[in-house]
Amino acid sequence: MMMGITLPDSGRIRLFGKPFERKSLERVGYLPEERGLYKKMKVLEQLVFFGQLHGLTAEEARKRAIEWAKRMEIADALPKKTEELSKGMQQKIQFIASLLHDPGIIVMDEPFAGLDPVNAVLVERTLLELKDQGKAILFSTHRMDQVEKLCDSICLINNGEAVLAGNLREIKASYERNHVIVEFEGSSDFLNSEEIAEARNFSGHAEIRLKEHGNAQKLLHEAVRVATIYRFELVEPSLEEIFIQTVGGKADA
Amino acid sequence: MRNIFLIARREYLEQIRGRAFRATTVGLPAVFALIVGVGYLSSLGLGANKHLTIATGDAALANAVRSRLVGDKDGQATVDVVAPARPEDRAALVGQVRTRAIDGLLWIETPAGGLPTATYISQASGDFITTARLKEALNNGLVEEHLTGAGMKQAEADAVVKGISIETFQVKKDGALIKSNAQASFWKGYVMAILLSMTTMIYGMNVARSIIQEKTSRIFEVMLATAKPSDMLAGKLIGVGAVGLTQIVIWLITGTAIFISPFAAALLTGDFAIQFTWTEGVLFPVYFVLGYLLYSSLFAGLAATCETEQELQMYMPLAAAPTWLSFAMILLIINDSNSVWSIAASFFPPTAPIIMFLRMASQIPPVWQFAVSIGLMLLSIWGTLWFSSRLYRVGILMYGKRATLPELLRWVRYS
Repeated sequence: MMMGITLPDSGRIRLFGKPFERKSLERVGYLPEERGLYKKMKVLEQLVFFGQLHGLTAEEARKRAIEWAKRMEIADALPKKTEELSKGMQQKIQFIASLLHDPGIIVMDEPFAGLDPVNAVLVERTLLELKDQGKAILFSTHRMDQVEKLCDSICLINNGEAVLAGNLREIKASYERNHVIVEFEGSSDFLNSEEIAEARNFSGHAEIRLKEHGNAQKLLHEAVRVATIYRFELVEPSLEEIFIQTVGGKADA
Repeated sequence: MRNIFLIARREYLEQIRGRAFRATTVGLPAVFALIVGVGYLSSLGLGANKHLTIATGDAALANAVRSRLVGDKDGQATVDVVAPARPEDRAALVGQVRTRAIDGLLWIETPAGGLPTATYISQASGDFITTARLKEALNNGLVEEHLTGAGMKQAEADAVVKGISIETFQVKKDGALIKSNAQASFWKGYVMAILLSMTTMIYGMNVARSIIQEKTSRIFEVMLATAKPSDMLAGKLIGVGAVGLTQIVIWLITGTAIFISPFAAALLTGDFAIQFTWTEGVLFPVYFVLGYLLYSSLFAGLAATCETEQELQMYMPLAAAPTWLSFAMILLIINDSNSVWSIAASFFPPTAPIIMFLRMASQIPPVWQFAVSIGLMLLSIWGTLWFSSRLYRVGILMYGKRATLPELLRWVRYS
């Protein structure tokens, strides 16, 4: 709706502090989940075309496209046709297309889909740089680890309802530090301790959720008695766990 | 406006650079030339080189018929005569036909005091060209025999039988007389109408196909983040239409170049003199644009409601119906281009472009009729555009299922 693709049933849309108007979209970058590129078009022409649609001149769009392609390590793909590129490369092109006009607000739907780890890190780093430049970035993902790394604020949506929203740090702080990560060698008998509500043991690496008001120090003592401990860390629950807890394990993917 | 231009230019460049454009620009006229050429050349040799036998009791008649058949340059027939033939010869001759020793047997009975009766026996049933030649030769031979029998000189009888041909002229508005040829103008109208209908259909389909492709590749989501649906539709129609116009202009220029060349001048003299007028040269692109806009806006609406190209194909026969209707009327229009039916069909927007060209082939209609047909077309284009743009706006973002009729109606009312 804020991209002007569909209309709201009720309520109003405000963008940059003004009621929604198409002109504002020139300051918004949008990356949809599905790759939407013209297959037969050459990559550079395609980028210039999208840049022009966002109000850039052809020369400016060309200049920026080349700069961005270098930055995203994809410059040698510029003269190729889009259909010749791999899915990950197309994703990067789409990523560039949404940023060419230097938008103030960036909206991305699953920006990491189809990227290999190297490129995922590259996109991640770029997003953080943009964040440092003061751009507002709004993105959706199923990957909670990325959310923890990248986001200031989150909104969990389940079945179309916002079930949890707010500042990521505050949300995490509101949950008890009742998770323990243990790395050990020896017997795992301590995992049967009375302090533990739930434990998952991955041979030498255990993730433990303590009972309410469970005593971590007591657990450490028990563990030291039967095993050699390399790491014992009391942590906040991960976002993944918060998500599962919040939706009660009934998420519909 | 800027977005419409950008989208149109992208669409234009992509199609112009495509292989399909080059292929159809050269290919369509080439295929035409081939079809017309093959049709003409094969008709030259039709029913030729037959080996026939004429069997009759009347040797004079048999020889008169024979000399006519042999003298026919197109026929190139070899003719044997069995005269006087007895009834018992017949079985043997039929046997020759059966064993293909001869292609056919013309058996003429000449009862005393009555008209002769003729039977033609061959293995083929549908050889109407040979049958027609035999009939002409037999009748002429018979008439000539009667004339000479009544005392007319051989040369005079020949002249009477040969008959006279009619030369046709067309009178123009300025009073000038131009040699015309019904067959040539028929072919001219036919070829122009086919070119027109093919280009309209091809480019109308192009619009539909490119909409489906953008829908399946989800480009709409990206595009709609910057451009309005109406801009996208307008850009697409203009871009693809410009490709069609480019193709037609290329054809017109090459066509003119060929027609003013000495080669064509030599070929198209006499009976095959074809008159091309400026009116036709100007109206061809005009009717293309009108026909194209009508069809492509219709197809655009249809395409937006479809999921796949296969689904779109189902609508095609329906969309092509007006074209078939136009060609079904071809004889009526060529014979009487000013009949009520011809005029009505040239006003009816879906058939107007093709029918107008068929009418123009025999006679240029009055200006007011052009005005009415173009006016009605513009009106219906406005109507289909209004309807299609509404379907388009909603349809392009509907994935997963085909729209039902009530849904389509809701889309039209929406906004």
